[in-house]
Amino acid sequence: MAKERKRRQPADAPPPGDDDEGRDHRREKKPRKERPDPVLPSQIKNKDKRKEVHAKLKREKKAQKRKLARERGQAAQRAVELGEQPPEKLVPRTIENTREPDETVCRPDDQELFAGNDADEFNAVLKQQTTPKVLITTCRFNSGRGPAFIEELMQVIPNSCYVKRGTYELKKIVEYANNRDFTSLVVVHTNRREPDALLIINLPAGPTAHFKLSKLILRKDIKNHGNPTSHKPELVLNNFTTRLGHRVGRMIQSLFPQEPNFRGRRVVTFHNQRDYIFFRHHRYIFEMKENKIASKDKKAKTSESKSQPEKQVICRLQECGPRFTLKLLTLQHGTFDTKNGEYEWVHKMYHQICCHTKVVIIQLPWDYTSLFLPFSPSKNLSLLAPCSSRLL
Amino acid sequence: MPRTSVVESPGCPPLRALTTDILGLIKVVEARTKPAGVAKVVETWGAPDAPRAVLAASLADRAVDPVLAVARKNGVVELLNPLNGETLAGVNAAAGRAAPADSSAEEDPLATLHLFRRHALDSSMLGTFLACTEKGKAYVKSVAKENASSDMAVGPSSSWDVSNSGTVQFSSVDAGESYAMFGGKGIEVNLWDITSCSKIWSAKSPRGNSLQIFTAPWFTAGTFLCKDDHRKIVACTNNHQVRLYDTASQRRPVISVDFRESPIKAVAEDPNGHAVYIGTGRGDLASFDMRTGII
Repeated sequence: MAKERKRRQPADAPPPGDDDEGRDHRREKKPRKERPDPVLPSQIKNKDKRKEVHAKLKREKKAQKRKLARERGQAAQRAVELGEQPPEKLVPRTIENTREPDETVCRPDDQELFAGNDADEFNAVLKQQTTPKVLITTCRFNSGRGPAFIEELMQVIPNSCYVKRGTYELKKIVEYANNRDFTSLVVVHTNRREPDALLIINLPAGPTAHFKLSKLILRKDIKNHGNPTSHKPELVLNNFTTRLGHRVGRMIQSLFPQEPNFRGRRVVTFHNQRDYIFFRHHRYIFEMKENKIASKDKKAKTSESKSQPEKQVICRLQECGPRFTLKLLTLQHGTFDTKNGEYEWVHKMYHQICCHTKVVIIQLPWDYTSLFLPFSPSKNLSLLAPCSSRLL
Repeated sequence: MPRTSVVESPGCPPLRALTTDILGLIKVVEARTKPAGVAKVVETWGAPDAPRAVLAASLADRAVDPVLAVARKNGVVELLNPLNGETLAGVNAAAGRAAPADSSAEEDPLATLHLFRRHALDSSMLGTFLACTEKGKAYVKSVAKENASSDMAVGPSSSWDVSNSGTVQFSSVDAGESYAMFGGKGIEVNLWDITSCSKIWSAKSPRGNSLQIFTAPWFTAGTFLCKDDHRKIVACTNNHQVRLYDTASQRRPVISVDFRESPIKAVAEDPNGHAVYIGTGRGDLASFDMRTGII
């Protein structure tokens, strides 16, 4: 207290005039009290006071935001009551809708694209001239979750078989698979007991896609998981829109048979978003939505179905696993040959650094998915919404 | 995948490129100065037809009667007008192969093609081209302007065998158009006199390293370095090496430079006579000064 008094005395000394001393003091006090209000919280040096001011500002902002939302809601209600058109709904800005479209996005009326599809390496499988036959193998040193993943992968991909790698070179394995009329070769690479890469080689003449595999979750680690049946699955490919995505999508499509068994209600989803391909495996069922009375009857195990004025079809999903994420690293022309091969596409780091709003595999609204689906789009459009709601 | 590209400089646009692809289409890509050098496809010639995929292309860029030649997968060499894409003539390259009756165009496709730039003394000739198949059969054929649609239009032609084994992957003709260079997988670079159809020089493998391990030859691209000197050639290998040969002094490379880790797929010389530009299988481009071997 004494120190404070000493400090105050020199402050009082500079103002001149004894008669005006009190008035000047009062005038000085009032501006000091008003100044802290517009001052930014980050300029306050006392931590507790700074925290209080910051919390107060945040509270005011939240209240204002809530007030604006309430006003918008009331305006919409008022417009509905008066029979007017409701005010325009604001669209939030996200990474997806501010993305610039890539120049290689496939157009639905591109005749050259269709001619290219007829001439590419996957045409024999996709036109059902050849039954897809997949050979799965591993890297040389394979342990950990790799075998379990391969076992589940064999249940996902029909007509696939697993052959031990042994000490053979991959070029010899390609020759072996070609001699036995395989259409694809899948190599699961394991690093430190964890599968981390997937190599898909289309036979007999390529191309070769090298994916990075991450976020692998096996079936036993998924809660309430289902066990897949042996029906041929339906295939859902989302957002493979650019030329590169189109090519990768056709390659993935050539692993699966082209006539799915709809009775099995089994679906395999490859969802592409921001250059990552998300794999999911589900079993679905379509149900009629019931009201309370029906649910009571359901509890009583009554099999009668009452007709209600409002019926709504919903789709319930059960995940069968596995669940993983792929990212394309290289797409090579021809079969696997790291030394002499020619690459169609190589992932390079500056693609992501310089143009962060551009990705190589671009995404577009759902209208374009009909280009890549092997069966009728109307069937899949009902599937897309529940799947995407889960994935996003 | 785009197979080859021929760049033509004169004309209104600063850059005009003719590109070909595996569907048999020929696209004209132009870059103008107004939209800051953005290149785009302005024209597409031909219909998409996979059996007529383009394997090689060559452009005779001259002031009078420029001609573009494309070698297709079914063994036909077509001559087109590079200004509007009009087909001038079509020659079946397999017509001259009477002796090996069992071979077909599918088993032995055309690997290289070069259209001679010089004007023939006879003004009735449309153009003369040099073509080579993968198994080493080389042809020099002329096409007349009259009766261009029939095979009888082929003028005087000659053929010879470049090699008996291996696969021919590239060829190059010097600026004076008197000498041709061939190379490929299992084939050393060799120099031929087009007039007399004789081999005048052949490369030799470099010496083995300290373990006496030799590498099999696999040449993927090559070009003549100078316009006025046909004795200096640059050849690139599948083992990502750029080699400079001097055919007047020795048979081994004078300079050998390594570049990254991908096979070198294309090479082109600079008009100044001592620099080359290369492209690799991973999409990298580089420029080499062949006097010092520096990038």
